[in-house]
Amino acid sequence: MSKDLAIEISHLFKTYRDADRPAVNDLSLSVEQGDFFGLLGANGAGKTTTLSILCGLIKSSSGEVRLFDKDVNTQLKEIKPMIGVVPQEYALYPELTALENLQFFGGVYGLEKKQIAEQIEGMTDILQVKDLLNKRIARMSGGEKRRFNLMAGLLHRPKLLFLDEPTVGIDVKSQQIIIDFLRELNREGMTIIYTSHLMAEAETLCNHVAVMVQGRKLCDGCPSALVAEAGVANLHELCLNLMK
Amino acid sequence: MRRFAALLYKDFLLLVRDKAGLALLYLMPLVLVALMAYLQNDTFKAILENKLPVAVQNLDKGEVGDAICKSLEKVQLFSIDQLADSVPIKDVERRVANGDYQMALIIPEGLSEQLQNCVAQSIQHTFNDSIPAPVIASSKVTLLTDPTTKNSFMATLSSSLNEQITTMQTDLMLQEISLQVAQLSPMPIGEIKLPGKVVEVEQRVAQLNTDRLIPNATQHNVPAWGLFAIFFIVVSLAGNIIKEREEGSFLRLLAMPCSFTLYLISKVAVYLVICLTQVLLMAAVGCWLFPLLGLPALSLGTCWSGLLMVSVSAALAAIGFGVAIGQLARTSQQASVFGAISVVIMAALGGVWIPQFVMPKFMQIVSMCSPMNWGLSAYYNLLLRGSGWEGIWWQCLLLLTFGAVCFFVGRGKERRL
Ligand SMILES: Nc1ncnc2c1ncn2[C@@H]1O[C@H](COP(=O)(O)OP(=O)(O)OP(=O)(O)O)[C@@H](O)[C@H]1O
Ligand SMILES: [Mg+2]
Repeated sequence: MSKDLAIEISHLFKTYRDADRPAVNDLSLSVEQGDFFGLLGANGAGKTTTLSILCGLIKSSSGEVRLFDKDVNTQLKEIKPMIGVVPQEYALYPELTALENLQFFGGVYGLEKKQIAEQIEGMTDILQVKDLLNKRIARMSGGEKRRFNLMAGLLHRPKLLFLDEPTVGIDVKSQQIIIDFLRELNREGMTIIYTSHLMAEAETLCNHVAVMVQGRKLCDGCPSALVAEAGVANLHELCLNLMK
Repeated sequence: MRRFAALLYKDFLLLVRDKAGLALLYLMPLVLVALMAYLQNDTFKAILENKLPVAVQNLDKGEVGDAICKSLEKVQLFSIDQLADSVPIKDVERRVANGDYQMALIIPEGLSEQLQNCVAQSIQHTFNDSIPAPVIASSKVTLLTDPTTKNSFMATLSSSLNEQITTMQTDLMLQEISLQVAQLSPMPIGEIKLPGKVVEVEQRVAQLNTDRLIPNATQHNVPAWGLFAIFFIVVSLAGNIIKEREEGSFLRLLAMPCSFTLYLISKVAVYLVICLTQVLLMAAVGCWLFPLLGLPALSLGTCWSGLLMVSVSAALAAIGFGVAIGQLARTSQQASVFGAISVVIMAALGGVWIPQFVMPKFMQIVSMCSPMNWGLSAYYNLLLRGSGWEGIWWQCLLLLTFGAVCFFVGRGKERRL
């Protein structure tokens, strides 16, 4: 296999206990390093499940997943320091302030206080949340929480970032701030895996997308190529056609 | 290490931020211990001061009879009734059988004289062969007992009697010897006397002879509610674990380079500190606040390391249990309901509310299944019996094993969704 692959998935299956159909059904996929990859699909398509398997949060039923040529099932310890995860739900302590949350997660990554402070300094500027650092997460708006949720996954500057619907449920301005930030990170060389059901956003952001329906991958490739190939106006239309 | 420090600080912050939860952990046991000790004080006093009625008929009127009566009065377990000489033995027997008295002791007429003569004769015999050895006509002291009298009390009484009589014999012997020596020796010698009483009968001896230790309201309630407080952290700890899972921060931790065991150990450490401060608080209340409320003050015994050991063992047992519930329960609702109920049941069984020694026999045995009972019996041994490590190691071992088993059950149930 190529050393430049960030992710390589082959014949991945995941059936939850008591489920009548697999949440991920024979998924094979590879993502190159430096890609901005979009995993697209409707609600319940299996995006979060796939992402969770990729970062070792849940075990697959069968199939193989390799990150940077390391097996997720057996070499998770070596993989963990290289990846950053930004879950779909806010994964922060509501009773702690934003700063305390960030310091804690930085500490768990084994970062020094100074390193954490530098990271926070830089990111709060870009994400425009500097004056919120001492506010408790519980008292923040959705958009504010999202930004700190994102920061918590980036403190250690991972090589590979997993983002589960990072722009859902927030206003256009906040969305734009986050998207610009992600673009910047990608330009600096970070591989980003991002899930969304917002096709338009993905089309402008990603250089590689895959569309999932009911656990199966229907297509994957460069968005513009996929659109041209299918003879449709945009990714949104392509998905509508595919889901028919 | 930096990871562990971060985890510790986070767990500490989570606890401190939850003001209501914290108040529950410290204030509830405080209120309960004060309230229960106050309510139970009179009951415990009654149990403690409940003396066994014992009748004594002293027909002897000599030194020996008097000494026996005096020594019996010193045994605080008994309330002594002196019967008049005219009461016939049949009557005494009837009253014991009726339960008016638990026991009756009849000291026969001429006991002192007989003892004196016997001793004198045997001493004279050793000094002078021509005097015949005395024929031991052992004098009978009659002890009538109620069939329901506990063996332990009878043992207390007979041991006290025997000690007394032996002392008297020795005294008499020494007197007689000094008399004989004075006759043989040209030099006048004084009376040989043992300095003071050789054997004393104390209540303490009596208590140790009985296999039940009766604490006072303080000695029971402080350790009992201290243990309740320790175990009540289960609700907080399990809730804390589940909340972390529900809020998703645990998910993030799983994806981070942080081992699940380290995550749990941080909780163990933080809650251990909570438990120990709870115990300190309860002890302080027992020592300083209780006397102000008119309750007996707590005395902590002498074995401080033992107290620490029991507290740490009980804390680790509770923490292990909390981890298990936190990992096994699906929702925080489930955890808090199950946690609270199980702790209350453990407390009830373990003798926190109603001390084990007033439970029916069967329940006394069931009670031994509760970890709180192990802790309580260890505390009793330290506070009441004044024992050291030999009186607690077994209970500590049980508590630690319970904690470890629970911890590993919880740890094994690593939830990966
Ligand atoms: N923990 C679980 N146990 C059982 N079934 C689950 C679990 N999580 C997800 N599923 C099921 O698996 C399927 C895929 O869910 P998943 O969360 O991966 O979808 P998704 O693409 O992320 O959807 P959304 O856009 O709504 O986030 C769904 O049918 C869902 O009901
Ligand atoms: Mg999802």
